[in-house]
Amino acid sequence: MQRPPTISRSPLGVGIGLRPAHYRELLARERCVDWLEAHTENYFGDGGYDLHALMRLRERYPISLHGVGLALGSAAGYSIEHLQRVAALVRRIDPVLISEHLCWGAIDGRNFNDLLPLPMTREALDLMSERVMQMQDVLQKRVLIENVSSYLRFAGDDYGEAGFLNALAGRTGCGILLDVNNLYVNQCNHGDDAAAQIDAIAPEHVGEIHVAGHLVTDLAVIDHHGARVADAVWELYERASQHCGAVPTLIEWDTDVPALGVLLDEAERARTRRDVCAQGESCAA
Amino acid sequence: MRLETLQADFGTTLLDGSPAPALLLALRDRGAQALDRLILYRGNLHTAWEKALANAFPVVRALVGEEFFGGLARAYGRACPSTSGDLNRFGASFAGFVSAFEPAQALPYLCDVVALEWAVHCAHCAPDAAALLRERMAVISPHTLLTSRFALHPACGWIESRFPIASIWRAHQPAAAIELPESLDRGECALIVRADWRAEVVESSAAEIAALEQLRAGVDMDGAIGAAMAADSGFDFAKTMLRWLDLAIVVDIR
Repeated sequence: MQRPPTISRSPLGVGIGLRPAHYRELLARERCVDWLEAHTENYFGDGGYDLHALMRLRERYPISLHGVGLALGSAAGYSIEHLQRVAALVRRIDPVLISEHLCWGAIDGRNFNDLLPLPMTREALDLMSERVMQMQDVLQKRVLIENVSSYLRFAGDDYGEAGFLNALAGRTGCGILLDVNNLYVNQCNHGDDAAAQIDAIAPEHVGEIHVAGHLVTDLAVIDHHGARVADAVWELYERASQHCGAVPTLIEWDTDVPALGVLLDEAERARTRRDVCAQGESCAA
Repeated sequence: MRLETLQADFGTTLLDGSPAPALLLALRDRGAQALDRLILYRGNLHTAWEKALANAFPVVRALVGEEFFGGLARAYGRACPSTSGDLNRFGASFAGFVSAFEPAQALPYLCDVVALEWAVHCAHCAPDAAALLRERMAVISPHTLLTSRFALHPACGWIESRFPIASIWRAHQPAAAIELPESLDRGECALIVRADWRAEVVESSAAEIAALEQLRAGVDMDGAIGAAMAADSGFDFAKTMLRWLDLAIVVDIR
């Protein structure tokens, strides 16, 4: 049984992460969600089934390319070659959104393939600004930069996360991808006030919102993208929607990927919450 | 503390051990919590290595077991750094590493299976090409055929081994129709093909590989058949040609 497709009227609306387990079903059925977000690095090949599936799905869905491998904030070990490969894929796919993370991930000669936390300092802002401007130069597109979850914070930060992202957007013209689950995870791990971070974000820069599930452990809350969105995160999402207006929203689910129907159900929930919010005067963008 | 130094110290801690005092001072988290959280990041790193290698080398993982594979992944990740932000590239030097990895010496066929799986992994995302159609072949005169050069599918490759690696690979596939070979004491030529979207391994022969090597080098069919006949005087060209069409091994004639 398939639910009838619901497509939001607002530009882009609510999307889901594209996972190989869902290729066949997405290719076989009518359009069932507003847009799809693909992990950029998974489509770096010159051919093969993944790229073929994405090329066919792009005929039916707007595609967002979400990179996890550029490690923009790495002082050493940053790869221009990787950026060139992103650019080649951008030319192939012509995505509606392109995003990367506010993080580092490499040192000279070694890549850690993780979204590692940056100190929120002026030095890090200078480096991120330079890299984001170069990225936009090479891609000839505006990019969105996402706040990450972290297990550690640095002493002597010059900015909060929101302040850093606002400054980065102001300097480079990039947009902000606001991940409300990551804000919640950081609230749990560091005592940050997630609601205050949302209120402090400059709404005009926010180009996308991510919501996802997380995992609570003894040591820390882990942003594993392997569960339904928690109630506390939905509340933050509503707050963000009120603050920023109707922003393209993504349901992220990367671990223990469930049936497509579960993702569509989560997308429907996001749509409902956003639309309820959008009816209120205070929600007008 | 400069960003580059901070990241270098953080990286060293992720790899082997105790954090530099300067790094601990640069963290807002203190004491046991700081150490626990650094160890979480180290765990992420090990998981990333293991997941990436498990994705590229599922047969090797099945052969050695999860626990051994985890240890192998950590040893490899430490010794041979990932150098790309694309984890799909991690594992290019795994065969060489395994061949010199002391605890794996009890399984002499393992490094050939590693090499085969890496070739399959790369074949999955090789450029697309459509098989040459039988109809197109049917209208070519024997003389033209012999003087023609053939383009092979970009995903096509081969590995010769002293062990039955194609059979080992095939016995570990989800819908495996064959059992693991009873004796490991015979060599096989493994041919990697991508007729459908999925790269597959089929058993080949020294003669077939000799012919394919010639074709890939740009030699005409006459030369390729000559090389195959030198390896095996009973080489059946007509049968092999049909197989090449069915498996999308030849994609163009010129």
